[in-house]
Amino acid sequence: MTDHGASGLMRARRRELLKFGAATLGAVALLPGVSRAAGAEDPALIKAAKGEGGLNVIALPPDWANYGTIISTFEKKYGIRITSAAPDDSSAQELQSIRSMKGQSRGPDVVDVGPAFALIGTTEGLFTPYKVATWDSIPAMMKDPGGMWYGDYFGLMSFGINRSVVKNSPMSWADLTKPEYKGMVTLNGSPLGAGAAFAAVMAASLANGGSVDDIEPGIAFFAELAKRGNFNPSAATSASLVSGQTPIVINWDYLNLAQAKKAKGMTPIDTVIAEGGKPYGAFYCQAISKYAPHPEAAQLWQEFLYSDEGQILFLEGFAHPARFSDMVKRGVISKDLMAALPPSGPYAEALFANNNQTAKAQKILAAEWTKMVKA
Amino acid sequence: MDALAGRGAAARWRPGARVRQRGTTGPKAGLLLIGLYFAVPLLATGAFSLWEGGQRYGFRAYIVLIHTDQFWSSLGLSLRLAAETILAGLVILVPATFWMNLRLRALRPLFDLISVLPFVVPPIALVAGMTALYTGPSWLVGTSNYLVIPYVILALPYTYRALDIGMRALNLRTLTEASQSLGAGWGVLIFRVVVPNLTTALIGAALLTIAIVMGEFTFANILLFNTFAVYINYVGQTSATEAAALTLLSFLITWLAMLGVLLTGRGQVQIGGAR
Amino acid sequence: MDQDGQGVKPEAEHLAARPGLFARSGGTLSLLFVCPFLAYVAAFLVLPTGMLLVEAFAGKRGPTLSYLAQLGAGQTLVAFRNSVVLSAFAALVGLAIGGLAAYLVMRPGMPRGLPSLVTTFSAVAANFAGVPLAFAFIATLGSLGMITVWLKSVGIDLYGMGFSLYSLPGLVLVYAYFQIPLMIIVITPALEALRREWREAAENLGASAWDYWRLVGLPILLPALLSAYILLFGNAFSAYATPYALTSGIIALVPVEISNVLSGNVMLSPQTGAALALGMILVMVVVMGLYALIARRVSRWTR
Repeated sequence: MTDHGASGLMRARRRELLKFGAATLGAVALLPGVSRAAGAEDPALIKAAKGEGGLNVIALPPDWANYGTIISTFEKKYGIRITSAAPDDSSAQELQSIRSMKGQSRGPDVVDVGPAFALIGTTEGLFTPYKVATWDSIPAMMKDPGGMWYGDYFGLMSFGINRSVVKNSPMSWADLTKPEYKGMVTLNGSPLGAGAAFAAVMAASLANGGSVDDIEPGIAFFAELAKRGNFNPSAATSASLVSGQTPIVINWDYLNLAQAKKAKGMTPIDTVIAEGGKPYGAFYCQAISKYAPHPEAAQLWQEFLYSDEGQILFLEGFAHPARFSDMVKRGVISKDLMAALPPSGPYAEALFANNNQTAKAQKILAAEWTKMVKA
Repeated sequence: MDALAGRGAAARWRPGARVRQRGTTGPKAGLLLIGLYFAVPLLATGAFSLWEGGQRYGFRAYIVLIHTDQFWSSLGLSLRLAAETILAGLVILVPATFWMNLRLRALRPLFDLISVLPFVVPPIALVAGMTALYTGPSWLVGTSNYLVIPYVILALPYTYRALDIGMRALNLRTLTEASQSLGAGWGVLIFRVVVPNLTTALIGAALLTIAIVMGEFTFANILLFNTFAVYINYVGQTSATEAAALTLLSFLITWLAMLGVLLTGRGQVQIGGAR
Repeated sequence: MDQDGQGVKPEAEHLAARPGLFARSGGTLSLLFVCPFLAYVAAFLVLPTGMLLVEAFAGKRGPTLSYLAQLGAGQTLVAFRNSVVLSAFAALVGLAIGGLAAYLVMRPGMPRGLPSLVTTFSAVAANFAGVPLAFAFIATLGSLGMITVWLKSVGIDLYGMGFSLYSLPGLVLVYAYFQIPLMIIVITPALEALRREWREAAENLGASAWDYWRLVGLPILLPALLSAYILLFGNAFSAYATPYALTSGIIALVPVEISNVLSGNVMLSPQTGAALALGMILVMVVVMGLYALIARRVSRWTR
């Protein structure tokens, strides 16, 4: 790390102070990440980050929560080149990339994983803690108290509907059982392997008398859909939605909305947050790899994501950022942007499942899903 | 299927008669049917790739793809890896399969078992194990050539079996004994007697390796290399018609690459082979 | 063609007159030819697999059989059964139709460039699997596919009649797309070894086509056919991208289950994945055992 003169000295002293502090306090995962007072505008951090020569990110498709724009904005703003690899990594593969690329300069610096995997990464010691400047305005249930992981954005379950094929959009979960939707209702994968599919079953459960503790009514709902021939077992892709082969896709709202925007010249796609039950949502988590080849750039990346500017970029990708309520309270979101989003009612009353509930639901799915849902 | 089967006994028994040319209408119809099965899904993909929304059709998706740098760089990477894997695979496998067929028949069950192991080990477990065990020399591990090592393993079931079937179709013992009684050493035997007779099998092994390397996803994805399969997957997730166009383009390009391999291979047979 | 070491003695005696080459060529040459292969496989396949298998027994507090016990759980057994049945049938379809196609292409009356075209197309199609293949079939024979819709317009309701692309037979239909080409590539060398002279000799002796195949062709081809079947079985057994894209795991299949727990987005369970992989290895070992038994019998016939 090059010497940055006074600020370098300050940082070095800060580090020593922290090390001393940590040694004194003992080591129970409480080494707090250094928190920059100025966050994304901290000149010392920016300079250190630029000095590292780049940033490696993985598993960030450009159309997912507006990551494409976020990456290019970051590059332009700080002059740091970002290498974005493996855009289709699953969370499990992201963790494996960290393990496999240990010690290599091409290894991932930061990851964006589901909460279950954030926990696994923490337990395995794959992450290094860091608390961004805006840490306090991140909701408590969306972050790890030790700073190992922190939720970046969340979304709700929604129906993505290809209007060229579907004349009347289904507005509720009960609507999906109507005979006019035969062979149309699709998930984006298996609820045992795909996050959105899992959430879809949870959401269906909420709408059919279940709860985040009880996923059985959701499984029963899909079994009923399958019996009526409305359920299409194939794994929906953007191609199958746009081409009309799978005209109703139950997926994250930000993905359906982004798909609609992209397909605007080709075919009209509606996004509906279903009525008939409490909406179900989930968030993704940011974390910095313990073996990050560019640790300072990784910290700058986090500061940027959690600054108002970064969070609004998420919102422009239709993904509700973690600090959404805080930003709404402070009035920093433009009226136009608010108007472009779906109505805010459901987002306030969305339900999230914690890790115990997810694990329990997943066990029930493993035993029941293939048994009950027969295409 | 065989026109001759329908002929009367009289036709067969005439002494000195030439064997008639067997009719080809039946076989041609059969092949046509099979060809239809293969063509229709491709045509459907093609139809979708040409769709531009509403009732408009055109080549926009293809044009966009061809002008994307990532398309060509990932394609080049995959083709290069395929060539390296073919080389490495054949160097490791041909001598072993040859020797096993010639002398160490008892080892066949072991070879067979090894050859099916890659089918049942999940690729992500293989990459996890390999990267945990070997943090290797950095000049290898950091570069995309590192992928050749697991790719040879992944291609193993196909290449081994192609070579084995080919070698068993030869009469290796007689060939070997004949050549050695004529004074050939092992080198001459392998390179100028056995290999030219194995051309079809070798080409088959090479073609299958190309197919596998072009389609391999997990290793490249975890190790963060941008191979063609990774690129195809990425396009598939993000854009609809371009995914279909890419499918057909990659089909076409891989087909042409394989025709290239085939034509060079056949050329060599004409020159020095025993056929 | 000799398949095992039995009938060698006469030639070996003849060559005993030149002892040098053969005497020297025992141990060291074996090492040279075979050891690189075995060492490579040990290092990059067996060892990582061993690490995986150890995982199958790894409990939180020491070795445990609980994950292996889960292999007996309801849906897991169903997954194994589905996988084996699907692979067996998909391999059979590939064997029969692929073998037929390879043979037809090589017949004398066919256009000259056809074998090259078919071989290369087969090589490409053999790996045209996963999402693109699934999409292609969904677009043709899915519930809203082009052919389904066209048939409905002429009065044939495919799905109403019970056909479904999203079933085991549907999967066999889709698997055939990469099984048949694989068979063509792998069996062609064996077919080429069937000399035309043998066919002509058989016909001159009065054999019909059926007789030829029954008494000459198929017996000679049988070892290659068995070997090809194993490859086709393994290929189908290990496929997970295609069935996942086609059915999202609605039909329980072992590779899909493994992918869910090792490579997914919902939960991570290396031990369950390892136990399932161990199960797959055991199935394959049994299949290989059967194959070895049958192959040995068959080779006795060809003596």
